Amino acid sequence: MSTNRNNISRRDFVKGAATGLVAGTFASMGMYSYSPWAYSQLPKTQRNQQDFGTCRSVRVTNISETSWFNNAHLIGDIHEAGGLLVNQYTLNWAPLANGKGSGKGSYEEGISTIKDLLPHDLEKAWEIQKKLSLHPENPGGYSCLLEVEALDGTVRKFLLDTGWSYEWMDSCFKREGIDQMLRDQEIEALFISHEHWDHFWGLPVTMKYDNRIPLYVHDGFYKEGLQYIKDSGYKGEPVIVNKPVTQIAPGMALLKFDVPIINRVFGETSLAFNIKDKGLVLVSGCNHQGILQFADFAFTNLKYDNDKFYGIYGGLHISPFEDWDPKYDDLVIALGQWGFELIGCNHCTGHLTAKKFVEAGYPVVRGTARFRSASEDYLGNGDKITFG
Amino acid sequence: MDNSSVSYLESRKLVKRWSGPIPALVNTFLILAFFYATWWIFQDPRGLMRMYTPYVGYMVCRWLLILFIWLAYIFDFWPFKRSWLNKTHPLIKGAVLTLVSVAAMIILMKGFFVEILGNFGIAYFNPDRLMAMGITEFYAIEYAAEAIMMFAAIASWLSPSWVVACENAPWQKLGQPARGITIVLVTFFLSMIVYFVTMHSHMAILFYPWQKFTAICPPYWEEFANTVSGNFHIAWIMCCTVVVWLYETIWERYPFNLIKHDGLRRVTSFFGIIAIAVALCFFLFYAQDLVWGTTIRGTRRLMAPDWRWLHVGEMAIFWLVPTLFLNFYCNNWPTKFSRPVNVCIRTLLTAALAVVVYVIYYKTSHLFLGTQKGFSHPQQFPMIPMIWLINIFLINVWFMDGWPGWKAVQKTEAELENHQNDVVASDVKWTQGIAKGLGIGLVAGALLYFAIIKALPWVGANITIIK
Repeated sequence: MSTNRNNISRRDFVKGAATGLVAGTFASMGMYSYSPWAYSQLPKTQRNQQDFGTCRSVRVTNISETSWFNNAHLIGDIHEAGGLLVNQYTLNWAPLANGKGSGKGSYEEGISTIKDLLPHDLEKAWEIQKKLSLHPENPGGYSCLLEVEALDGTVRKFLLDTGWSYEWMDSCFKREGIDQMLRDQEIEALFISHEHWDHFWGLPVTMKYDNRIPLYVHDGFYKEGLQYIKDSGYKGEPVIVNKPVTQIAPGMALLKFDVPIINRVFGETSLAFNIKDKGLVLVSGCNHQGILQFADFAFTNLKYDNDKFYGIYGGLHISPFEDWDPKYDDLVIALGQWGFELIGCNHCTGHLTAKKFVEAGYPVVRGTARFRSASEDYLGNGDKITFG
Repeated sequence: MDNSSVSYLESRKLVKRWSGPIPALVNTFLILAFFYATWWIFQDPRGLMRMYTPYVGYMVCRWLLILFIWLAYIFDFWPFKRSWLNKTHPLIKGAVLTLVSVAAMIILMKGFFVEILGNFGIAYFNPDRLMAMGITEFYAIEYAAEAIMMFAAIASWLSPSWVVACENAPWQKLGQPARGITIVLVTFFLSMIVYFVTMHSHMAILFYPWQKFTAICPPYWEEFANTVSGNFHIAWIMCCTVVVWLYETIWERYPFNLIKHDGLRRVTSFFGIIAIAVALCFFLFYAQDLVWGTTIRGTRRLMAPDWRWLHVGEMAIFWLVPTLFLNFYCNNWPTKFSRPVNVCIRTLLTAALAVVVYVIYYKTSHLFLGTQKGFSHPQQFPMIPMIWLINIFLINVWFMDGWPGWKAVQKTEAELENHQNDVVASDVKWTQGIAKGLGIGLVAGALLYFAIIKALPWVGANITIIK
């Protein structure tokens, strides 16, 4: 009888223990997880500040920020092809269209129509592609010239991105004298921020003037992108960026971010500059990683003067299609705490974002709205900004 | 008690057609093949219809889930007769019931949300109205789909909750369709209230300027959640959805079914599910902070609080997949111990399997779903393929009686009585042994929790899921 009671008691104990184990786990989850005590236990960020030198100033010339001219056409084409996850090489946009319609493009078929013309006869190549592509009048491109002044006063020139439309980019290069700088090999390197059409597909325009320029691309480039570099007439060996931080010059570093991006693109590289006595300047193509992620990465990994964020230039990829999401308001609300003194935004930042930045009292540098840039709310085509 | 006095799902017993693991293997193979074929046809960004834009596909898979729940759980398959359900071949039943659900879904989305609500109530439910105000067609459709989808997220918690936790009360004795219509209307009404206090502000700040005259902007949760995004609510609501099904399947309604008083049991179950879900929600958020570091407000993707809240819901859905699989295709294994022990083992097992599914998904999905690798992508929602897969589980088990691995047979009277024991259980009684075990179990549970949160930073630093 006594043994039987013990057995029953043991069974009950196990039942209670099993119930308690699950209940105790959930109770702890609820009471502790999102509490101030839980967060007080988290380790503080360890800064591992890499010294990448100092420069005196950086001047940015906006060659083109108008990646496309009609938002409805661009997003309409993406919509028709199946949305924001569709492979960009199938969208059937120039210069890689095959004439088969929305979502039915292929890199191989597209490039085969113009390969023999690259990079020496871009006018003819673009004319051919105009007949095969959707909305051939829409492409523009993103590109900027960076003039980095060293502490001894020497100036080194770099190009960030090479735009999209051969026609448009060639005219922009000529407008800003980039064609001659490339011919004279004054520009030391071309950085492609990411593989998207509007930053990369205009590569033959740069190749037309300098087909041996050192070229840096993210290691997330797809095989089509790497092939396009060859097909564009590039005669060098591209530098595949596979390190988080690559120093380019004193006070200038290339930062790599592994982020998935719309229309099957992966990864973005952006630039950071340490301006003497001023602080850190962040320059981006589209900033798909997010400007504050960019800043936070720099805060953790780079050493810069005054330990201060000084300036921003480039696309901030907030509302590129003038779309919106409440999380963008989180940025508008939070950006002020980071203390940037000069915000030179444009391109995929979106006009609405610039407007909200201005309303929030942020130091957004206004533009002149020339050369088809649509608004004075931010730096437009042909505008310049100097940090330092 | 006879079979006609209980719902169809309660009245039947699924019996394996073959012994051993063959039925589960056959069904798994067919389900995965059907999943991939339908994914390619409807959702895949490389496929035929490409609904994964993403919000259109997201809206569709969520509303399909609701319609399946309504048809099987709330309407008890009305207007289909019990005799038709008993006699018709599972393939025909599956096709007919799925198509009826799809038709009802289209009528609801297009008829109610877009045409009625969008034309006479709230403009953002109607893409045409948004376009007329200058928004591009693509985003007009996406915004409307997002709003309709968010409504479904709430309904996917409240609708089954009313059946599972509240036991259809107080309308459990009504016949069909009166009971179904009543519960749908009541849960729809409740969903609408919850929508207004959780999601409407999110939608209102999508537009410039913030629609302050019609919604609370910035929303009241901003300080607590560190974001103005409604993803904070998606997090706990999705956890509620998952916990309802944990409670109904692998927990066999334990422990709230020990409460004998009907009203108290139902109220406790309903709010107990919410409490457990909120606990899970907070843990999953904190777990991400432990692995990836604390969030940075205003940034995007992995480090953004809004995405972390969304990912809480996504992680919870990863738990639902092995939970339903264990219940549907593994006979709710294990069943040989006492109910509390079975429940404990299943909980730990499915949680571990959820981690496995999570890792496999993020390691491989970009290879076959037409998506990209990476945890956080502004246009990717792992909930879409997971819910799509769950929908196929439901079609197979609810509409097709588990065909081809299983077949439905009528339960005997004794088996029907057993089911009643799940609703009000008496297999666990308060004793000294239980009390002692419970106390020690609670301490062990707390220790397990603290062991997990101690291990998570190490996991974050040493294990790479996506290279």
